[in-house]
Amino acid sequence: MKFSSFKKSWFSLRNFSIFFFIVFLISCSMTIDSVDQPMSVKGGEILPVTLNVTIETNQEQTSKFMVAVLVPKVWNARKNTTITFTSDITSGDQTMSVIPEGTPEPKGSGMDWPTLISTKVGNGGNLINDYEWVAFFSDAAYTVGGNKTVRAQVKIRTKVSDDNIAFKLGYCVANSTDGLSGTDRYGTFFTSCFRVEGSGDLIDFCNPQLATIEPRTSLDNDIITLNFDSKVSDNALSNSSDIYLCATGITTSGERINVCSQNAQTKMNVVGVGRFRKDIWPREFFSLRADQSLRSLEYFYTDATGNVKVGYGGGADPFPFTFKCQ
Amino acid sequence: MKRIQHFLLLLFLATLFACRTERLDAPFEPVKDVNGSWKIVGVTRNGTDLTSRYDFTKFRLNFADSAYSLSEQVPFLVNTNGTWRFDDPAYPFKISLTAKDSAAKSSSLLFPIVGGKRNMILTISPGCNANTYQYTLQKAD
Repeated sequence: MKFSSFKKSWFSLRNFSIFFFIVFLISCSMTIDSVDQPMSVKGGEILPVTLNVTIETNQEQTSKFMVAVLVPKVWNARKNTTITFTSDITSGDQTMSVIPEGTPEPKGSGMDWPTLISTKVGNGGNLINDYEWVAFFSDAAYTVGGNKTVRAQVKIRTKVSDDNIAFKLGYCVANSTDGLSGTDRYGTFFTSCFRVEGSGDLIDFCNPQLATIEPRTSLDNDIITLNFDSKVSDNALSNSSDIYLCATGITTSGERINVCSQNAQTKMNVVGVGRFRKDIWPREFFSLRADQSLRSLEYFYTDATGNVKVGYGGGADPFPFTFKCQ
Repeated sequence: MKRIQHFLLLLFLATLFACRTERLDAPFEPVKDVNGSWKIVGVTRNGTDLTSRYDFTKFRLNFADSAYSLSEQVPFLVNTNGTWRFDDPAYPFKISLTAKDSAAKSSSLLFPIVGGKRNMILTISPGCNANTYQYTLQKAD
């Protein structure tokens, strides 16, 4: 009974209003109002991006400014990106630097910035798990008074790789004190499908693919994951429940090693309706000698008989994959 | 009155003889004993758990004094047998494996006790250096 009377008084309209006012009083917000960027660039070019950001404060705070970008790993954005910003409260371009790996986010229970951003903000709907958040801090800390509205323009310059890529870029802004402690404390923005018109086969992060390999950047001494999503488009294996890998490894000296029997070694594991997966260590899968290295793969998926084969685009050509490292 | 005096004298003497030099020994951290056969109990690649997705069960890393040997193969720091050493025997944070006729290769090392068992956690990039694997090993015995 006492508890209910306490509860009643605690949740009175007056107390609730005071509580709400206090929360409002100490909160601040950060939003990305708009993003200016081209929707495509050529492979190897600089991608210029401008974020228009609004920061509203309700109490004085001294913090560093944080900007993070979601990009394909193959761009190596840690080395190939520069970020500066201008604002109402600063003079001239303010420089930013990559946050060292392992730096904990202040409210992230030990998680570092990229991990926490990935957990809270997500990946923007990119379908191939070969992307990364790269976070930058301003080199200086800034004091912003209470009840202020600050507008900032963030300039991001990223040199994209030569790869042919379709990707949904993501941006996140926050500060070093509040981190990502509440959804109003940080701002995010995801673009629609952005294209790099580069060389090689299209690496399409935006649309479901019949076949993918993870990680995209790997060598023959990695464990690679081959995925087959048989329901993505009509193909000869759309209704097959047993799928097998039929692959040819091409060595750096041009030898072709074929593994195309339908057995336990090549059988794909079911991971969902029409979805199959196989993890292989290429050096073991193709029984490479110590002096051999793989340059690329050509592969199909087959049924249990081996007579029905599906390749690139559901057709008769093999899916291609090139082993490479950044 | 005399009783009180005797009591105070006794208390004084007891206090006096209670004082003695206490020797504080520096804390002793035992040298980590890794001799024996270690098996893989967990593997992640770039944070994705691969433990049940690839057969790591036959792999063994065997330590005998300063030598190590490998049974079966998985993508690992080295592929052939050789010698090993810690950066610090008492507080190791790195392990170096030197395969015969090769340069030493190092891995960062954690050595926690989990569920009453000593774990050896190695972080390596056997293929592309953009891909990080974390191997958790336990004594196979």
